[in-house]
Amino acid sequence: MRLLYINNDGGGFADFVDVTEGITVEQFFKDKMQGHKPDDYLIRVNRQPVPREYILKDGDRVTVTPTKIEGAVI
Amino acid sequence: MEDIKNLIRMADRIQEALIKLKNGRYLELMRQLTSFAGQLQELTTQSRKMGTSLVHGWFSAAGRCCNGINRLLSDIQYSLPRIRPLVEKPQVKIPKLSALVGELDVLEQEFGNIEYDISENTISVVTDSITLEDVYLGPFKIQLELNKLSELYQNSVYHVIALEPNPAATDDNVTHPHVSNETLCEGDGCVAIRSAIEEGRVCDFFTMVRSILNTYNPDSPYVALHDWYGEPCYECGYVMGSDSSYYCCFCERDFCEECATYCRSCDETVCAGCTERCEVCDEPMCPRCARIRCTECECVCCESCIEEGLCPDCKQERKNEDEEKQITGTKETGTQSEPQNNTEIKLAS
Repeated sequence: MRLLYINNDGGGFADFVDVTEGITVEQFFKDKMQGHKPDDYLIRVNRQPVPREYILKDGDRVTVTPTKIEGAVI
Repeated sequence: MEDIKNLIRMADRIQEALIKLKNGRYLELMRQLTSFAGQLQELTTQSRKMGTSLVHGWFSAAGRCCNGINRLLSDIQYSLPRIRPLVEKPQVKIPKLSALVGELDVLEQEFGNIEYDISENTISVVTDSITLEDVYLGPFKIQLELNKLSELYQNSVYHVIALEPNPAATDDNVTHPHVSNETLCEGDGCVAIRSAIEEGRVCDFFTMVRSILNTYNPDSPYVALHDWYGEPCYECGYVMGSDSSYYCCFCERDFCEECATYCRSCDETVCAGCTERCEVCDEPMCPRCARIRCTECECVCCESCIEEGLCPDCKQERKNEDEEKQITGTKETGTQSEPQNNTEIKLAS
């Protein structure tokens, strides 16, 4: 199945990604954001916060936004 | 809760602004391309000039052309990364009104309230109070200016306004380590924030700005948090940051640039109160170097004015004395030898 994945960590570009049926949002995060802790991100599906065991559905839009971003002087 | 009609009105304004932004993107691309084409044209001209120079054997002129070409190549190298993202990135679709209403709905859930100013055409949210490393900075209003959205590629299109400002002691315009004059320095969030605005992901935009406000990057702040309250100059009370304060190791206090100087003999920082001056050239000296005194008159003398333990006056005086002695010595010798000469003369006569 296909999801729209928006990763706001870095480029912030939206991409369509293929994932296996029955994947939970937690598994999806672990797969896409290896080495990162879910606690450091706002993870939303179809703009809404969901529990970690939420099973993703075809066409879902997953947004991952870091809660800590380092600003800097140009 | 915002009235749904109000949300639709806001969404409609956002959509209008995004359409203008899309046009703005093309305009920016055109602007960049025009400048790039100019650079290429100049490169062609330089190349032709260089060819002519070589045909005539004008090597000096060819050298000048080379310098020009080198400069142009640097300009082109700088222009390309600015143009490419405007061309390469897939063209963003303007989100539907329902999607924008959905964004605003989530935004409201996230921040509690959305403020919409019809006259100014701005959408604002307020963050919770922010405290970084025990420095209370208060809540901030993040204000997105829809009228300026089309200027996204040239200017900042939003303001970060401190509602309970606790600015850095050294700069009133810095209300947060990464905010100066209500402008946020986005650092790592720059590209993602721009993308969120372009795609109309309003909630992502506001949450990312909040994430930056909630994070302190000690490597690149406008004013570091450890300097937030500054340090008053012991002499005049002027509040300064650690990078602009000068420590006097003689009185062990911090001073501002105006109230501190350095010893011209040993380069040590010294405050006005501890400064002594060379009595010859009047240059400032630290108390340690001011111990050097003329052995004759005991005046304070810097390294460059003292010679053989004497100040220039005493040195001159000693020189005069020495000369005088020498002259007297010569005279005395001369007096003793005269009779001999006379004798010789007498003998001769």
